[in-house]
Amino acid sequence: MRIVLACLCLIAAAGMARADQELPIFDAHMHYSHDAWTVVPPKEVVEILKKAGVKRAMVSSSNNEGTKMLQDVAPGVIVPELRPYRSRGELSTWAKDPTVLPFLEDLLSKRKYVAIGEFHIYGADADLPNMRGVVQLARKYGMFLHSHSDADAVVRHFQQDPDAKVLWAHSGFERPEKVREMLRRYPRLACDLAFLTAHASNGKVSPGWREAFLEFPDRFVVGTDTFTPERWHYVVEHARWSRAWLADLPPDVARKIAYENGDRLFGGAR
Amino acid sequence: MRGLLLLVLAAWAPPAAAQQLLDWSPDEVRAVGRHGPWPPPPVRDPSNRVSGTPAGIALGEHLFNDPRLSADGLMSCATCHQAGRDWSDGRAKGFGTVDLDRRTPSLWNVGYAHWFGWDGAGDSLWAQTIRPIVDPREMGGNAQRVAGLLRHDKDLACGYQRAFGGKAGDDDELLLVDAAKAMAAFQATLVSPRTRFDAFRDALVAGDRAAVARYPLSEQRGLKLFVGSGNCDTCHFGPRFTNGEFGDVGIAFFVRPGEVDTGRLGGLARLAGSPFNLLGRYNDDVSGANAARTRHVQRLHANFGEFRVPSLRQVGRAAAYMHDGSIATLEDVVRHYSEVNPDRLHSDGTPLVRPLGLSPQERTDLVAFLRSLDADPPPRPAPPPLCP
Repeated sequence: MRIVLACLCLIAAAGMARADQELPIFDAHMHYSHDAWTVVPPKEVVEILKKAGVKRAMVSSSNNEGTKMLQDVAPGVIVPELRPYRSRGELSTWAKDPTVLPFLEDLLSKRKYVAIGEFHIYGADADLPNMRGVVQLARKYGMFLHSHSDADAVVRHFQQDPDAKVLWAHSGFERPEKVREMLRRYPRLACDLAFLTAHASNGKVSPGWREAFLEFPDRFVVGTDTFTPERWHYVVEHARWSRAWLADLPPDVARKIAYENGDRLFGGAR
Repeated sequence: MRGLLLLVLAAWAPPAAAQQLLDWSPDEVRAVGRHGPWPPPPVRDPSNRVSGTPAGIALGEHLFNDPRLSADGLMSCATCHQAGRDWSDGRAKGFGTVDLDRRTPSLWNVGYAHWFGWDGAGDSLWAQTIRPIVDPREMGGNAQRVAGLLRHDKDLACGYQRAFGGKAGDDDELLLVDAAKAMAAFQATLVSPRTRFDAFRDALVAGDRAAVARYPLSEQRGLKLFVGSGNCDTCHFGPRFTNGEFGDVGIAFFVRPGEVDTGRLGGLARLAGSPFNLLGRYNDDVSGANAARTRHVQRLHANFGEFRVPSLRQVGRAAAYMHDGSIATLEDVVRHYSEVNPDRLHSDGTPLVRPLGLSPQERTDLVAFLRSLDADPPPRPAPPPLCP
């Protein structure tokens, strides 16, 4: 009997140790847009985040109501991001829509946000008045620009405001060599790894990306990109997948990319 | 070749009378040409030693129609894959011992595919054939039941000996695999008939103006859209009108509150975990060359909610549509692509799927073209006895 109890204690201790050692995640790329609210209600979102071990999530939503809904049920978990879209379909029209800047200014006058984004902008369109206005708003309110863009657009963000803080969504879907070049050039640029798989396979980090992570351990964050409601049901698996490849990096680098960078860059929950 | 195309185009100067032929550019002729010729030569599956053999095919057809493979003895493969319903069941969603979440895919031309099932969990037709037999939600059978039939049923045992060159042994799992290989050999013979489109395509490539003009104008206009601004042939590529891969075309994939069909992502996990995949011991291709796709396939976040691009041959006869049968008519499928909600599509580079914004006439034309990929198959005789 004593032997059985001792075994049970050992098993329980091992289980607790695993739970304690599970790397927390700061997920820097989440959306909770209008089409998700009824099929994945806020309380279910919080349960999913808890199950996934996501300690904090930077969330934007078209039309920004979803972010508020989540903050109401999990204020210590949700890091609010301001999205310039009222529906996600505006991603191809927002840059030339004259109502966007007043919409953003109105929301900024009412609530505090850590970043503006994720917005979609490419090449010379980054010099359009709306985009310039967003860069100025980010400067005025001390926010990150969360830019789904090519390298050209990122360069234009920094030309407009050399002190801008930019989170490059999906690392621009760029090659690691290009990402490293951009990180060297712009000290206030950070990169999210949402929707990317090129950097890791079967729990191993790819060579080019390994160098990027080791050269810039303070500049990467992970993200799930819940761009459709169904994708909330991918958060748990995505966190598991992220931990698998993060385990292939030195522990201090893994911790930074998993959550320390998110906490430092985006200041925790509001 | 260029010279020939120029000649073809010169011969097609607009006639004074009512035109029965659209102008087809050399690029369009090439694009249309890539959808044929039909049928392609039969393919033999190197992982299946009875692929293409008459005895294997004969055994496979009998097994395909045998309800004793199922747990309750009431359901055969042919219960859901009915010859008279274009090798599907005519229902929006399939059924087995319970109602299922996906539509029963047609088996037309399945022997030419390289991934099987809506999620690609099978990397060979025989491996895919095992899945519904042993799935408790479908036929609920098992290896012991199948093996017992091959050992003890007089006709099947004889058919097995003819197909595999020896008596059924005592390894149940191996016999399940062999049964599936015979059924795969049979399914690979299900090649859809030539269609109006095929006659047009061959005539267009050959420069046969008179034959080309027999293809109605509405169908020609639809085809132009299909290979042109609609960009449909990026995924619905080649003679089978499918690239055989997977895509997210903006269809919701919740199956019930709080549960999603993970599509290709789940399929890849099942593929990796299957003892019947081509990396396993049942692959008859000792070179392993045919397992390269399985060995190298990569998991992508985009795979979540992706489903296999279906062939469009016999598409007008195959309602309902999409992986979950959520669209009832071909007209509504075309409307879906015309009005697809960009909210649901991820933006990274040029999106493959975008709202086409088709006019009513364009939608009608596209449907007319798609229906030109249909043809009545000849009546199918009952299979002859295995060992008369």
